[in-house]
Amino acid sequence: MTSLSTEEAPRRFLESDRAHVLLVRVIRIAFPHDTLPVSAYERTADSLLNLAVQTNRMTLAVANGLDSLGSLPQGDFLGLPDDEAFAHLKSIERTEFFTFVRGNTVLTLYNLPEVWAALGYEGASVEKGGYLTRGFDDLNWLPDPRVEEYSGELTRVEQGPLPYPVKASRRTEADEVTL
Amino acid sequence: MTAFDHDDEVVVIVGSGAGGGTLAHELTTRGIRVVLIEAGAHIRLEEHVNDEWEAFGQMAWTDPRTTSGSWRIARDFPNLPAWLVKAVGGTTTHWAGATPRFLEHELRARSTYGSIEGATLLDWPLTLAELAPYYDRAEIALGSSHRHGRPAMAANNNYKVLANGAARVGYNFYATGPYGTNSEPYDGRPGTIQDGFNFQGDRSGAKWSTLVREIPRAEATGNLDLRPDCQVVQITHDARGRADAVIYLDADDNLHRQRARVVAVAGNSIETPRLLLLSASSRFPDGLANSSGHVGRHYMRHTTGSVYAQFEHPVHQYRGETMAGIIADEARHDPDRGFAGGYYLETLALGPAFLAAFAEPGSWGPDFTSILDGYVNTAGLWIVGEDMPQETNRVTLNGTVTDAHGLPVANVHFDDHPNDVAMREHGYGQAELLYDAVGSTSAHRTPPYPSTHNLGTSRMSAKPEDGVTNAFGRAHDVPNLFVSDGSVFTTGGAANPTLTIVALAMRQADHIVDLFSRHEL
Repeated sequence: MTSLSTEEAPRRFLESDRAHVLLVRVIRIAFPHDTLPVSAYERTADSLLNLAVQTNRMTLAVANGLDSLGSLPQGDFLGLPDDEAFAHLKSIERTEFFTFVRGNTVLTLYNLPEVWAALGYEGASVEKGGYLTRGFDDLNWLPDPRVEEYSGELTRVEQGPLPYPVKASRRTEADEVTL
Repeated sequence: MTAFDHDDEVVVIVGSGAGGGTLAHELTTRGIRVVLIEAGAHIRLEEHVNDEWEAFGQMAWTDPRTTSGSWRIARDFPNLPAWLVKAVGGTTTHWAGATPRFLEHELRARSTYGSIEGATLLDWPLTLAELAPYYDRAEIALGSSHRHGRPAMAANNNYKVLANGAARVGYNFYATGPYGTNSEPYDGRPGTIQDGFNFQGDRSGAKWSTLVREIPRAEATGNLDLRPDCQVVQITHDARGRADAVIYLDADDNLHRQRARVVAVAGNSIETPRLLLLSASSRFPDGLANSSGHVGRHYMRHTTGSVYAQFEHPVHQYRGETMAGIIADEARHDPDRGFAGGYYLETLALGPAFLAAFAEPGSWGPDFTSILDGYVNTAGLWIVGEDMPQETNRVTLNGTVTDAHGLPVANVHFDDHPNDVAMREHGYGQAELLYDAVGSTSAHRTPPYPSTHNLGTSRMSAKPEDGVTNAFGRAHDVPNLFVSDGSVFTTGGAANPTLTIVALAMRQADHIVDLFSRHEL
């Protein structure tokens, strides 16, 4: 940031094309999707930069985080191969800068209608009469199952083992579980 | 609109959800005057938004809370321990709809499970036989599918995957319900149009909530004064130690006092103990109705987890009723599985926005994005089972953090009990087998979401020293103070709690009417 040495330098840097380009690449490396349009990443970067400049804390964290990507030991982040770029992000994933980018990308990128469309999500349907006539039950690669409750000879077991065979996962011993 | 005077001696109900809204309906339709005070806004059906984050911002209780303990929520969502609604209708505007009943032995958890280290299990002070007639009434009110002549819900795509998988691993007790949404027109409301968005407020009115049923009917009696955007911050008492009024803040932060003949608290299991603790006085120095020390303790949130599995073919999980798919075979007490109590497996669907936020909080990179890339071909289910009450799982007042009104926020402390962890692991394993049996190509174990089932913080007990209320939700310490929400659950059972909260509120209403008629209240 030496080239922008005024007192508002971090904020001005975040408004620069350089910051935008760097952030778009960070987001694309961190959240790679073949199917998403570049515009979705660009809009997400815009949102994050607008959010960052609203507080001094995030302005400092994001400006510094992006600026330092230009002078990595292995070169400019923009010029790194994808796997090296990913490895670098992995090395900084606990920083305030990356935590900000990760958390807000999750909230922003996947809330874009263009991303929903790319992922095949159709969203709200109530104005179109719901999915009742628009495929709520169109799955045809499995047989249609029973919708009524079981009415055979078995009685529902409330205590003890089941009297019919059920495929079961291996019992987990107490010392194997992880919280 | 009915408006009672601040000096009128009315029944004051705090909170308008499953418990408070039902109690208000039961009392007003029998001629009793009620002031129903609701912290949230009155959002009309047509104002609901079919957009996950926008609706969250509109409906959710996002006032600050804090967390502590070893549960993962404290790390991933430290200021959002619970996903509840702040609006007229409370969390019934957000509930998914599953309506299983408690099993008989689940009301006798201590006797059935025995002593479990670290757990504060206790038998409920009432039996299933006592509750059964109220379960019937509650199912009729909610219009539960598969019950009382209500037809089954149709099978949506997510259910087709669940049910086929269930059958192939050997389960028998699966169906599309019971489910508290109209499968066809009923009770003056339409049948479902399978529009999804159960968690965002149902715009069509097919889903039961106190917003669409109990509250408008209570208003029609002329006996209900509904006060939205008003938050009760204290319950006061007279020289005899009986509740005599509530103090509440209006939308402009002005304090009001409403005189009360009876106070019923139904703010859900975080705000209810918070209010009782905020109501400490020289007579009740540890909080109102808290001579036992149990207010806020034994906080339960059900043992939960989700599995999202991907297939080679489309599922479109988001189309249709979110939770119209329930497997009951694992909802039994069978210690051979390595844990006490049982769990249900229920269909669950999220849109990409919420799936991204909740599937694996904190995650990024290709492992994370692959969850979203397979979205259309993904089926999902939720594990919901009984968790162990623990003395130190507890809602307390935070000594340093305050809300927008300057009042201490609730801190929610939770440590998973080893029984909870073993049950969750078993559920994950069974879910993966189930999806594998119908050809899944991958499956992801999603950790618990911010709690939607919040229970136990003012529990019922036969003995006053063991809990906060008696079997009718009446405070042991304060005879005209009632608790009318899931806080009174002595233990959690495996069943989704809404039906039981409604049944208990109906039973409590009968009891209050009876006490009034005998001039004992």
